[in-house]
Amino acid sequence: MKQPEYQRRPDAEPKVTGSLKYLTDRFEDHMLIGKVMRSKHPHARIKNIDTSAAEAIPGVYAVLTHKDVPGLNRFGIVMPDQPVFCEDRVRYTGDAVAAAAAESAEAAEKALAAVVVEYEPLPVLDSVEKALSPGAEQLHEMGNILHEAFYTRGDLQQGFADCTCIVEETYQLPRQMHGYMETEGGVVVPGQDGGISVYMATQHGFKDRFQLSRILDTPEEKIRIISSPIGGSFGGKDELNLQPYGALLALKTGRPVQVHNTRKESVRAGLKRHPMAITMRTGADESGRVLAHETTIYADTGAYATLGPAILEFAVEHASGLYPIPNIKTTGVSVFTNNGVAGEFRGFGGNQVTFALEGQMDRLAEKLGMEGGQLRFINMRKPSDAGPLGQEIAPTDGGKMVLDDVAAWQQLPLSNTGEPPWLKNGRGGAVSMHGGGLGYGRLDPSGGRLALTKEGKLEAAFGFEECGQGIVAVIETVMKEAFSCNDEDIEITIGDTSKVPVSGSTTASRGTGMIWTAVENMKALFSRQLLTEASRVTGTAAADLYLGAGGIHKSGTESSLFLSYKALAEYVQAGDIETHTSFDFPVTPDEIDSGHYLYSFGGVSAEVEVNLLTGAVRVLDLKQSVSAGPVVYPQGYRGQIEGGGIMALGYTLMEDAVMEEGRYQTENFDTYLMPGVKDLPDNVTVKPREEVMEGDTYGPRGVGEIGTIAVAPAIAEAIYQAIGARPKKLPVSREWILHQIQQRGLLPWNKPEKMLGG
Amino acid sequence: MEQTRKDARGIEHRQGVNVCTFYLNGMQASVNASPLARVVDMLRDQLHETGTKISCGIGRCGACSIWVNGQLTSSCLLLAYQVEGKEVTTIEGIGTEERCSIVQEAFINEGGFQCGYCTPGMIMATEALLKQTPDPSDEEIRDGLSGNICRCTGYSGIIRAVKAAAARLA
Ligand code: FES
Ligand code: FES
Repeated sequence: MKQPEYQRRPDAEPKVTGSLKYLTDRFEDHMLIGKVMRSKHPHARIKNIDTSAAEAIPGVYAVLTHKDVPGLNRFGIVMPDQPVFCEDRVRYTGDAVAAAAAESAEAAEKALAAVVVEYEPLPVLDSVEKALSPGAEQLHEMGNILHEAFYTRGDLQQGFADCTCIVEETYQLPRQMHGYMETEGGVVVPGQDGGISVYMATQHGFKDRFQLSRILDTPEEKIRIISSPIGGSFGGKDELNLQPYGALLALKTGRPVQVHNTRKESVRAGLKRHPMAITMRTGADESGRVLAHETTIYADTGAYATLGPAILEFAVEHASGLYPIPNIKTTGVSVFTNNGVAGEFRGFGGNQVTFALEGQMDRLAEKLGMEGGQLRFINMRKPSDAGPLGQEIAPTDGGKMVLDDVAAWQQLPLSNTGEPPWLKNGRGGAVSMHGGGLGYGRLDPSGGRLALTKEGKLEAAFGFEECGQGIVAVIETVMKEAFSCNDEDIEITIGDTSKVPVSGSTTASRGTGMIWTAVENMKALFSRQLLTEASRVTGTAAADLYLGAGGIHKSGTESSLFLSYKALAEYVQAGDIETHTSFDFPVTPDEIDSGHYLYSFGGVSAEVEVNLLTGAVRVLDLKQSVSAGPVVYPQGYRGQIEGGGIMALGYTLMEDAVMEEGRYQTENFDTYLMPGVKDLPDNVTVKPREEVMEGDTYGPRGVGEIGTIAVAPAIAEAIYQAIGARPKKLPVSREWILHQIQQRGLLPWNKPEKMLGG
Repeated sequence: MEQTRKDARGIEHRQGVNVCTFYLNGMQASVNASPLARVVDMLRDQLHETGTKISCGIGRCGACSIWVNGQLTSSCLLLAYQVEGKEVTTIEGIGTEERCSIVQEAFINEGGFQCGYCTPGMIMATEALLKQTPDPSDEEIRDGLSGNICRCTGYSGIIRAVKAAAARLA
């Protein structure tokens, strides 16, 4: 697929000029402002809620609590366990207790300040250890364990017995915040018929509609979700956030209600990446063949489930990554605590286990006296090897391809010259494998619709969301490729449940592949429909006609337009020329729950510069090789990997939403640091490896996540190469670096023996 | 004596009190605003000029960047009385969909945005930088944009855009 690098995204001009209306930019006549009151305590019983004083405040139109929820007072994509409003107990400081709608934000806030809640604080289970300790308060009826996941194969004991070299380590992964620039929010508009229109970001409009229908006790047909454009999501807006409050307030007051989190509110209530503690024991024989690999994962899932179980299963699946190790035992436990809710986040558990796995490979290689790359080559999967759960997967040589690139990049000279002496450089590499789609045993339907509109546009309709990734550019590119048309011939319909077909969620790196597949499925029939109608209208044989820019062209003539789409549209009724497709995301034929079938691969090479005086780590060079099938939209592909890489750089070196006693120690971007432009490496390279195996018909794989996975272990190895200490806890803090430097006496005037000698 | 009236949208205006008058993209604007209202709220909620975004509200991210008398500033840290009588320039005053500025064109061509939510602020910062420093070094570009956070692009596309725009403006 050849597209000029500079093809404009269809949303380009509105975005750069600020004219694009995001859902949080909407304004409706007679609109009220809604605010949500969150729990004062990380864990407490609610003895009483009194809203009478709040209701009396001028300008306040409604004050709601759990008593005002007509349907199920719970939400959660997998299992609805999170209260819309807490009844008798709060389990984290983001729990909602009441909400108010008023003429102004100030009045709504005043109302909530006047709601009197009597709490009886309970012991705070602010760590996995506390939640699992005997006698710990049970956070849910099911106890404090949300989910356990296992995988074993071979004979682990025998495997380790055959090893000559074994390494063991426990890795600690932080609570990363999505940090989308647009916080959650939008407007809910009540309709005449008791229905509502919800203008709020989500990654799956139909899923929101389903969940809201359950909460509001309103049929799904009466709920319309308008969910694009989105100012960033990265998984964080997949679950419901403010939608229930906006909807309940709008229905109660009969007026449009705007709800929009401040950053502080967003930090407090929003999802984060799962903090995990991962212990791995990995062994190899003297030739470097990894024979045994044991993994134990503890995930802090916070107060409620959301997609916690699936994320744990994903982590368990990817614990052995691209290495078909014969003897494996993996155990995962996802634990409820009184911390912030952890949930879906770009990479979906793969980031955490890949940091651990690749850390193991580097430790093992060193012990064996090998290069990290060499050990990885010895153990790399072959194209026809089974997937990590032993399941059949689409044959792929992606792992080897990206490793080839990483190995070559490792040979590049370091960019420093040894001066000044307090700057030490190092280079490291790592690879990863990442499953696309939701996995075996999960509903994962997709589909799309093509139609000629009455205005003469080729409408491409998908139930996907535009959250910045450029799905609209993917749709446009695929359409142009399929129908040889112009940008102007295409009308893209997304992000509105009243207009789009079921396409499944805009998650799991699935959008691009599903659009490509849908158009592949529909293009022959849709072309035939267009040509047949054109033939009928013009009396020219369909065989002499073909599709081109602007409409129908006639062969044998100059390639000028024969019948424009606009003209054709005048002869047909709406719906006459329309094609649908629906299908499922490809899954493994083996009955292995959550097993994936299509995988993408990422290889990363990083060079760092460590300042021995300050402990600062600067990434100078970040190169990524990606195998995810053919590139559809080059600018978008590159942007996903570049952007994902920097997000992962933040994960590695600076980001952690620290909680103490169940309370966030950060509430905004002054204390939660994300990479700024000064953290950008001098060189960032993206190398797509587009080749797929012969006979592979799956097309592009999607690259929304793969650029975030192997960055952390590559940077960690680079730090080791620079200072001789191996990070096992992220983010790698300056304090830790300085401590290592001091312990190792890396500064000439600060040798440890000198210190000892006084 | 205070007089209140409601406009067609149901918004209450108190006449004669707290009218903040300034020049918005060259046009005079008068807004009923408490002197302590933030400029970002005045722009977005009252004037419905929503190109200026709100993200952190504490001066850390640059999503709300505007110019006051040509000076780049965070409108979330600015109160209404501080712009009284001044020239305020927002993203709406830079270019239009039909006529993008050179900087805006460069952001489009070089992949300088994804979700676009940081983009108005980034463009305000870039335009300000290039006005002051037409041929910026890498260091100067990083300094000029250091007040703006982008979570999507990882900045590479933004840097390409700034360089491309600088080259075209040279
Ligand atoms: S919103 Fe003003 S700097 Fe972030
Ligand atoms: S483009 Fe999304 S934050 Fe910059």
